Amino acid sequence: MGAGASAGAFVPSGSLAVAHLIMFGPSLEISAAALLSFAPLAPVAAAVLPPVLILVLCVVAGIGTVLLLPSRKEAALRKIGGAVILAAGLILVALLVRAAAGTGGMGVYFWIFAAIALLSALRVITHPKPVYSALYFVLTVFASAGLFVLLWAEFMAVALIIIYAGAILVTYVFVIMLAAEATPTSGPMAGLAEHDAISREPLMACVVGFALMGVLLFVIFEKADGAVGSATPQAAVVVVEGAPPPGSSAIHTFTPEGGVQELGAYLFSSQLVNLELAGLILTVAMIGAIVIARRRVVGTDAATHAIGGNETIVGPATPTDDDPHTIPVYGTENPRQKAYPET
Amino acid sequence: MSELALQHYLAVGAIMFVIGVIGFLTRRNLIVMFLCTELMFQGVAINLIAFGHYHNHLGGQAFVIFVLVIAAAEASLALGLVVLLFRQRATLDADAWRELKG
Amino acid sequence: MQDLWQIEYSFLIPLLPLIGACIAGFFGARLLKGQSHWPIWLGVGTSAVISITLLVAMLGQSHPADHVDASQGVAAAAEIGIGPARDSIEINLSATKNYFPWISIGNFNVNWGYFFDPLTAVMLCVVCGIGFFICVFAAGYMKGEAGYFRFFAYLGLFIFMMTNLVMGENLIMLYLGWEGVGLCSYLLIGYYYDKPAAREAAKKAFLVNRVGDFGFGVGIMLCYLAYGTVSYFGQGAGTNTGLLEMALNPNHEGSWALQYIPFLLMIGAFGKSAQFPLYVWLPDAMEGPTPVSALIHAATMVTAGVYMIARCSTLFLGNDAALWTIAIVGAFTAIFAASIALRQFDLKKVFAYSTVSQLGFMFVGVGVLAPVAGVFHLVTHAFFKALLFLGSGVVMHAMMGELDLRKMSGLKRQLPITRILMLIGCLALAGFPLTSGYWSKDEIVHSAQGRSLLLYVVLSVTAFLTAYYTFRLYFRVFEGPEVIPPAPVGGHGHGVHDAADAHAVASAAAVQTQTEHESGIDEHLATVKHQSAVAHDHGHGHGHHGDHNNEPMIMIIPLVVLAIGALFAGVLNLPTHTFGHKLGHFLGQSPSFSMGYFKAQQANGDVEAALAGAEGHAYIDPIPFGQPGESEFHLLPLIIGGAIAIAGILVAYLFHLQDRARAERLAAGMPGISRTLEAKYWVDEIYQAGIVEPLRSLARAFFLIDRFVVDGLVWAVSFVPMLSGFALKLTTQRGYLQGYAAVMLLGIAVTLMVIFL
Repeated sequence: MGAGASAGAFVPSGSLAVAHLIMFGPSLEISAAALLSFAPLAPVAAAVLPPVLILVLCVVAGIGTVLLLPSRKEAALRKIGGAVILAAGLILVALLVRAAAGTGGMGVYFWIFAAIALLSALRVITHPKPVYSALYFVLTVFASAGLFVLLWAEFMAVALIIIYAGAILVTYVFVIMLAAEATPTSGPMAGLAEHDAISREPLMACVVGFALMGVLLFVIFEKADGAVGSATPQAAVVVVEGAPPPGSSAIHTFTPEGGVQELGAYLFSSQLVNLELAGLILTVAMIGAIVIARRRVVGTDAATHAIGGNETIVGPATPTDDDPHTIPVYGTENPRQKAYPET
Repeated sequence: MSELALQHYLAVGAIMFVIGVIGFLTRRNLIVMFLCTELMFQGVAINLIAFGHYHNHLGGQAFVIFVLVIAAAEASLALGLVVLLFRQRATLDADAWRELKG
Repeated sequence: MQDLWQIEYSFLIPLLPLIGACIAGFFGARLLKGQSHWPIWLGVGTSAVISITLLVAMLGQSHPADHVDASQGVAAAAEIGIGPARDSIEINLSATKNYFPWISIGNFNVNWGYFFDPLTAVMLCVVCGIGFFICVFAAGYMKGEAGYFRFFAYLGLFIFMMTNLVMGENLIMLYLGWEGVGLCSYLLIGYYYDKPAAREAAKKAFLVNRVGDFGFGVGIMLCYLAYGTVSYFGQGAGTNTGLLEMALNPNHEGSWALQYIPFLLMIGAFGKSAQFPLYVWLPDAMEGPTPVSALIHAATMVTAGVYMIARCSTLFLGNDAALWTIAIVGAFTAIFAASIALRQFDLKKVFAYSTVSQLGFMFVGVGVLAPVAGVFHLVTHAFFKALLFLGSGVVMHAMMGELDLRKMSGLKRQLPITRILMLIGCLALAGFPLTSGYWSKDEIVHSAQGRSLLLYVVLSVTAFLTAYYTFRLYFRVFEGPEVIPPAPVGGHGHGVHDAADAHAVASAAAVQTQTEHESGIDEHLATVKHQSAVAHDHGHGHGHHGDHNNEPMIMIIPLVVLAIGALFAGVLNLPTHTFGHKLGHFLGQSPSFSMGYFKAQQANGDVEAALAGAEGHAYIDPIPFGQPGESEFHLLPLIIGGAIAIAGILVAYLFHLQDRARAERLAAGMPGISRTLEAKYWVDEIYQAGIVEPLRSLARAFFLIDRFVVDGLVWAVSFVPMLSGFALKLTTQRGYLQGYAAVMLLGIAVTLMVIFL
């Protein structure tokens, strides 16, 4: 509610969001009541963290996000946003600690990992420097991997860490380093490019995003509980031996050796063709990436040299002895170098 | 401690997805925009794993593998393109390419 | 007769020309080139041999003519086991060979099968035999033409279609061949497709034939509706399941259709055989190469209508009005076309109108229920008209495309052999006594006489006119002082009047010649010194003077064979009791004819009553149907017929050989008639003004409606999204990628809300 007041330009949108939240509040209370009365699993969870509370926390976090997103405003405002989010996080932690103190068990880890994942994800999108965003994303990946472990998907957790944190993110960081932009050296935005320092219409985006989130959460908690959360696992217990029915005590006696083997057997029997296709896609993507990236890199200053009749190509220490008949030249404004050679 | 229901995981996934969306909408740096799409992938992956777990079906994990594959392919190609674009304009600002609207 | 090997292997008759056509068509352009005629020669020649042996074998199985009478026929048929005894149909000599089910839709079943009876055998011999000789001739005539292989591929395709037409065992096969020969005719008329006149003529032929084919198609549908089958005859002994057999039964539930079917089939026949309202395409079809005119537009294809009516005579029998229509239209066409031919100056045009006229004779023949006479005339006409066309081809070849008989005269020294052969052809066409045309024409005239005196008079006058215009042409071209036309202006010279265009074509041909046929250049240059211009239609440079052979053997030999046929084909069916009527008796064993005869008997109780012709459709002459009966030697009509022919020749002699100025004076004395005839009664102009122009105006109106109303509506409809899209582009498409994503996600959120809230 404070967001609407502080960001004067976005008052209409802000008030719309407020109205939206007001609309949502009662309906989610109803949903909580429904959970209390019908779902056998829900009451305990609802007792720990009522959905309304989750929603309020989300809204607070959303407001904080709006404030926290990089913008032209003074650092103080962003600090307020950070404080708001931190407050929300503290409340969450306090609740979690209280819940954990009550019973203990695996549930605590869920809350911890979820909090880490979401907060670091928030930081991915709010940190003005891309490198930090990438590093926060690594944190998100680790937290997600923790959630995967909670879901008995230890192979996927490790794969996620290796692939995402180990490979993809490294590539990201490489590219971020490679594509170093000219940045102001002093002032409030020192070291920041203009497009990094100023985000585009944060309030609008947050309204859209949180509207979507509200709908999704409502659907998840209100519409889908009976169908997915309670009914199916019991049926699954009967069918698949060794797999834990969620929420039952069998989860502790689950024999984990089935996980990776079963997954492998499943992948190489039922999903064989898809797996091969995935490999093919990776190969194609690799070839494509090589084709795209392995250009003869020409410095932007090469144009000034070349137009004067000097055919010497000036550029960084990337390979320049590629066959000119097959490799086009990018990154220069000299049309003679852009074109494919005639011969 | 309370038993965790599928909904909790779904909620985490959804929130992460929405955070990615918001980031994609607000950030103007091409690389960060791609990072945000990776966040969305993460949210979806959590959803899939959770569904697979609660349905006792390996399809969820298998699907996440494919998601990872696509994400890796997408990242490699997209980053290559980003590098190319950066060479053209010496900036990572997505708005630098507005004329591509045609 | 099912066991004849020719019937067992009858599929070869159409297949070999088709294979030849495929070889010539697919390999002719690159591999065969100037030898493209070989596959066609071999294919058509083999088919001709098979056809002739088939005819001979069937003649051997047919019973002798003098043994046949109504009572003995059954016994004879039973004795030699030819054909089933078809429910009291005494005589027949037929076999059906089915190869595979062709079309099978619900109850509609069509077999790909061939039907053999004397009529088929005779037609096959005409198509393949004469077709073979014309193919031989064409190899000489077309030598060096661009697209030589194409020509022969089309010819082979034509023979394939034509043999299907005459051999098919049902109306659908007939229709397949019918349309197929129409296609080949179109392709071959338009063979010189770079010549506008040829293109126009091809289009005209195709479109006019469509009019007829529409009627024919509807007629076939009606046949199926009424009788539930399209096969001519039932399969197996005693089964009266064939279309033509059921048509005999007046109590059949489908007999109501017999009021309409003959008229519809007739329209198709009129179109294909160039009868009065639909004849206009045939004279224009002379734009095609001369062998095509001889084969398709004189000898075979145009007789398909006659064949069809003869084949389906039982359908026509019960409908007197239809028969009268055929006879009257035929007679009118005969005299009409003959009168036009009087004042034509283009050799091929004269023969084209003559063909129309002679086809009129054949239609009178089938119209007066003398189908045997019609088929007889068809056979003899095929010989002498092919001969005449090929002879004009030789003349044209020698004159390098010139065909205007005003510009040439006394060619007997230049073309001595051709002159004799043409004389034979002209005599036969004129009906000079003892030539083949004499016998066949007389038989039709005689049959018409029995039907109606008016028909007789009209046909006699036509015969006189025919003799006159035939010999007018002959005397003009081959007799008298020698006049050789100067360098021609015609491209291929088939009556081209567009000089500039034709010259362009000829020049192009000459240029092409010099590049393609280098060996011909010397010969070509030798010719040039005699001429003021070098434009000519034949690339290989035949001159008409001096040391060049104007009459190459490859062109003369087929002519000689045809001339023999033109002279002596009449012996097939001499109107005598003792050794005559061979063709009549043979054809009479065709179920189509014998059943017609039987029907007449049924209707009248006995043959004599039928002959009396007292009432209704009872007139049946047994001779035309090849049946025993009154077959005395009609001496008087024969003498009259001969006298008419000789009179015509004499008049032609007086006007066109003795004193040619006399003809001019006569024409000048009757300017109106002369001009009318020269303008061909302005029929083309009437069609143009009465049919083509209104249709064109209608099309133009529709075009305007389409352009302004329909297109306008479409444009208006398309303008709205275009405008709104343009506005949206200006306002919302700003190039902010994330803006699009935001809107998209908002849409998703709203959609989810609508669904779940």
